[in-house]
Amino acid sequence: MDPSALSSPQMQQFINQEKEKAMLNEMVAKLTTVCWDKCVSGTPGSKFSSSESSCLSNCAQRYMDMSIIIMKRFQSMQ
Amino acid sequence: MDSFSNPSASGGSSPPISQEDFMNQLKTQLAQAYAEEFLETVRGKCFDKCITKPGSSLSGGESSCVSRCVDRYIEATGIISRALFSSQR
Repeated sequence: MDPSALSSPQMQQFINQEKEKAMLNEMVAKLTTVCWDKCVSGTPGSKFSSSESSCLSNCAQRYMDMSIIIMKRFQSMQ
Repeated sequence: MDSFSNPSASGGSSPPISQEDFMNQLKTQLAQAYAEEFLETVRGKCFDKCITKPGSSLSGGESSCVSRCVDRYIEATGIISRALFSSQR
């Protein structure tokens, strides 16, 4: 492959798509470890209790809500 | 990461590779990297949960705890994923 092919539009689009996938993957991975610690107490069972599942789901959504608050607050200080 | 380096890049020209092959190889290596990172996380979490006092071998209880833990962690990943990407806000 010619090194100049790295700057082709096709390659740029590919790189951008992979960057986006990597960011999403990192967000899910990070949230899963954080919410696992918050919601899964004790020894893992053969299925989640309904309170554990809703805790996990709520945890992810509240984290995103919090992110928005933090961003707005930060922006209001600029 | 070593897996990204070209083993023949020591002065000679690289064998020709199409752009498509390059992208496919990169995708494969990225997928492997994500999988390895996921496994590392699961190892850490399940060791914390299941092997609280390491003995001279893994007990049956510890082994089944680890199996359940892996299943639950994968399930948790799915729950988080769906909560993030399918909720209407």
